[in-house]
Amino acid sequence: MAEIELVHVQKTYGGHKGGAPAVQDLSYTIGDGQFVSLLGPSGCGKSTTLNMIAGLEDITSGEILIDGQRVDDLDADKRDLAFVFQDYALYPHMNVYDNIAFGLRMRKVAKAEVDQRVHDATRRLDIEHVLRDKPRRLSGGQRQRVALARAIARRPAVFLFDEPLSNLDALLRDQTRSELKLLHAELGATSVYVTHDQEEAMTLSDRIVVMSRGKLEQYGTPYEIYHQPATEFVASFVGKPRMNLLPAHREGDGRYAVAGSTLRVALAGSPGGEVRLGLRPEECGLVGAAAVGGAARDAHGTVRVIEPLGNASDVTVDLGPALFTVRVPGFGTVHVGDPVQIDTSAARVHTFDPVTGRRLID
Amino acid sequence: MSTLTERAASTTQPRAATPRDAGRRRRRRLGTIGHRALVALLLVYLLAPFVWMLVYSLYPSSALQQASPDLNPGLLTGASYARLLSDSSFLVPMVNSAIVGISTTIVCMVLGSACAYAFARYRFRGRNALLLGMLTVQAIPVIVLAVPLFILLRAFGLYDRLPGLIVTYTAFILPLVIWMLVGFFDEIPPSLERAARIDGCNRLQIMIKIAFPLAAPGLAATAILAFITSWSDFFLAKVLTSTAATTLPVKTAAFQGLFAMDYTSAATAGVITAVPVLLLALLAQKWIIRGLVEGAVKG
Repeated sequence: MAEIELVHVQKTYGGHKGGAPAVQDLSYTIGDGQFVSLLGPSGCGKSTTLNMIAGLEDITSGEILIDGQRVDDLDADKRDLAFVFQDYALYPHMNVYDNIAFGLRMRKVAKAEVDQRVHDATRRLDIEHVLRDKPRRLSGGQRQRVALARAIARRPAVFLFDEPLSNLDALLRDQTRSELKLLHAELGATSVYVTHDQEEAMTLSDRIVVMSRGKLEQYGTPYEIYHQPATEFVASFVGKPRMNLLPAHREGDGRYAVAGSTLRVALAGSPGGEVRLGLRPEECGLVGAAAVGGAARDAHGTVRVIEPLGNASDVTVDLGPALFTVRVPGFGTVHVGDPVQIDTSAARVHTFDPVTGRRLID
Repeated sequence: MSTLTERAASTTQPRAATPRDAGRRRRRRLGTIGHRALVALLLVYLLAPFVWMLVYSLYPSSALQQASPDLNPGLLTGASYARLLSDSSFLVPMVNSAIVGISTTIVCMVLGSACAYAFARYRFRGRNALLLGMLTVQAIPVIVLAVPLFILLRAFGLYDRLPGLIVTYTAFILPLVIWMLVGFFDEIPPSLERAARIDGCNRLQIMIKIAFPLAAPGLAATAILAFITSWSDFFLAKVLTSTAATTLPVKTAAFQGLFAMDYTSAATAGVITAVPVLLLALLAQKWIIRGLVEGAVKG
C-alpha cells in the first residue's frame, strides 16, 4: 500500500537548455490503493511520467514521494513497484516460471517462497499449465498474463502499467480489462495506468490524470472528467463521439448564437461576449423541422451524414458555418438532406474561454 | 440450388492440362537442372583444392608424384599425420597458434562485448565518429602497417613473442567484433533491460543475465570469426615472429623449401590447420541459423 505524490515534477530531454520540457510542473497525489490512469494522446508525456515514477528515467526537477519518502534519487528496484510493459518485456531465454521468479530471485527471496508466489500468481491468472513454456510459444493473451503474474508475484506496493492492453485484439482487450479491474479490487494495491484509450481510463480508474503536451490538463474522477471538463482539451479528448465545440457569441436577447448559425443556447451566469461552447452529442436531440410544424427556414441545419451503430446513430448536421453531431437512438427517423432542429434543452452546456481554453462556468 | 451446387462442384474439379502447361513444366524442370548443375560446379571449384590436399596428406608422395597418380585405396596411410603430430618442431607452432587464437578471441570478446553494448545502448557525443573510426582501421591494408608494427613490437620487446601477436591481432579484430556485436545488441528490445532494472539488476547484471544470453548466437558466431581470423593469419605472423612464436600457417608454408618441396607434410599441415576452422565454421553456421529460427530476441 502506498501513496504517490508528485511535486512540481519536470522533465527536459537533452539538458536544461534543450527544447520544450517533455513534462511540465506536474503536481498531484495518487491516493493509497487507488487506480489512477494517465490519459492523453501520443507524446503528451504520460509514459515519461510513469517512467519517472518507476525510476527508469531521471527527473529534471521536482520531487516524487512514495508514502512520504522521497524516491526520485532511488534506483528502480528500490522503489517497491512492479511494471507491466506495453510489449510485456518477457525474457525470451527464460521459461514462464523463471520469468516470474527472476525478480524474486534477484531480491534473494527464499526458494520455497519463490515457488509458492509463482504458483499463486499463475493460479490466479490461470496460466499454470504454461509454466515450463518459453514466451515465444505463448499467445498474445498468455504473454500478457505472464507479464501480469510477474508483477503480482512481486507483491509490490505500487503497480505501474504502460498501455498493457494495446497489443491485444479488441475482444481480448475488453476481457482483460474486466479482469484487471477485478484484480485491482482483490489486491487493492496503488496502480498507475498509462493509456491513450479514454474508454479504458473511464472504466478502470478511480481517478484520471488527463495530460496534453507535457502538462496536466485535469486530475479528477471519471465523473468530473466527463461532466466537468476543466479545459477545452479534456472536453474534446474524453467522450465518444467527440463533444461539439463551437464558437458562440451573445445576442441581444442574452442567448448565445452557436457558430453564427440560427441555433441559440441559453446560458446560466454571464460568461462573456465570446465563448467556446461545448455540447455532448448524446445529450442533444434532433427534431425534423416539419415535425414541429415549422418551415425549412426554421431549421438549424440539414442532415449531412448518418452513421448507424445499431443501438444509436451519429447524425452530422450542417449548421452552415460549422458541423454539429447528435447521437440519436436506434437508426433514427431523419434522412440525409432533411432540415432539422437541434434540441439542446436536456444538454449540459459547457463553456470555455476562447483564448485560454479554461472552463468558465461549473 | 442444384445449379449452384453443380457450379461449385465444377469449379473445384482440376483443370485439364494444356500443351502450354506442359511447356511451362518443362521449362521449370530445365531451370532446376541448370541450377543444380551450377551449384555442383561451384562446389567442385571450391572443394577441389581441399580434397586434393586431403588426398596428398593420405597417400605416400611416391604414389602421387608420377605421370598418372596411383590412388589405390590400399595405399592410404596416416603416417604423415603421426609423424607431424609427434614432431616437436610442428607441435610448438600448433600450440602457439592455439594460444594466440584462444587468447585473442577471449580478449576481443571481453573488450568487444562491453564496448559494443555501450555503443548499442548509450547515446553519447562522438559515438558515430568512433564507430566510423573503427571501421576505417579495417580499410587500411595490413601490409602498410607491417613495418611500423614490426618496429613497435621490437621496441617493446614483443617481437617473436606470443603476447606481441595477441596484441596485434586484437587491434585488428576488435573493431570488427564491436561492429558485429553492436548489431546483435541493437536487436534486443530496450524494454527487456528496463524490466530487468525493475527486477533489481544493475548494469553489469543486465549485460550478463539478459543481454548476453539473448545475443548468444551472435556472440558465438563473432567469437568463432575472431578465432578463425587469428588462427589462420599468415602475413602478420610471418612478419612479427621468427622462431619462438611461429604459428601453424607460417610453419606450413615453411615446408616449401627453396630446393625441395615436401608436398605430403605441407598438405598434412594444411589439413591440420583447416580442421578446427572447418569445425568452428560449421558450428557457427548452426548458431547463426539457431538465432534466426528461434527469433530469440523477438520475444
